[in-house]
Amino acid sequence: MKEVAKQAASREVAEQRERHREAMLPAVDIFEEDNALHLVADMPGVQRDTLTLEVNDNVLTLEGEVALAMPEGLTPLYAEVRAQRFARRFTLSHEIEVDAIQAHIDNGVLRLVLPKKETHRRRRIDIKTA
Amino acid sequence: MFGDLRRFDTDWAPGTDWFRRLFDEMWPEPGVADIRSVPRGSFPMINVGRTDDAVRVYVFAPGLTPEALDISLQDNVLTVSGERRETPAEDEASSQRSHFRRERPQGAFSRSLALPEGLDPDRAEARFHDGICEVVLPKREELKPRRIDIQAS
Repeated sequence: MKEVAKQAASREVAEQRERHREAMLPAVDIFEEDNALHLVADMPGVQRDTLTLEVNDNVLTLEGEVALAMPEGLTPLYAEVRAQRFARRFTLSHEIEVDAIQAHIDNGVLRLVLPKKETHRRRRIDIKTA
Repeated sequence: MFGDLRRFDTDWAPGTDWFRRLFDEMWPEPGVADIRSVPRGSFPMINVGRTDDAVRVYVFAPGLTPEALDISLQDNVLTVSGERRETPAEDEASSQRSHFRRERPQGAFSRSLALPEGLDPDRAEARFHDGICEVVLPKREELKPRRIDIQAS
């Protein structure tokens, strides 16, 4: 019984490792604008329902499954995209208002807006004449 | 439910793309490269597959609209070209944008790819969804595999 459980556990680990290995890193642009961080990621083939976004312990995880229907009996001739999913993780800094993160995915491009907390916004300092 | 992209993975060591790219950069191709060839994995990435009656080309072009992508076929060479623009700021004048990462290719691009012979460009079809353009190029009738009946003697 124990043996079986152990086997199942090791298979799970192997599957996890397998999944991790087969993920592609999406290309991203990250920039700061209007008191928010913006993240734009290329994830072709990922739809709203195959995309998972998570913030856990200040780590932002983007994961998306490529939804592409291909006919049966397709023989590959040339391939540059060889994995079924995209995955990438970023650590967030404490100034991000995690509850206010917004996400849109359109045409295979994911756009995230990560607003900064009120206390961390850029402030203009007035210079008074003496 | 979905087609399986892993069946495209026919290489001797999958997941070593970065390694090969590094090598390609350190030691440029010793052979003769096509004068118009671009490095593997340039934007947009392309997969090509074959079925009994057609060749299917998948162009991974996120953020492009069908109007911004141009696909043409001439003498079995498929050319994919277009332009991808950066999204402008909503309020151009007042906003300052400071970039931390810029990995996504921007601007005009063009890629050419040699396809097998015997395709019928007149019956080609292209569909675009979620940043992937699927081009179906049917084979000419005489090139399709034919079943040969075996007669009992």
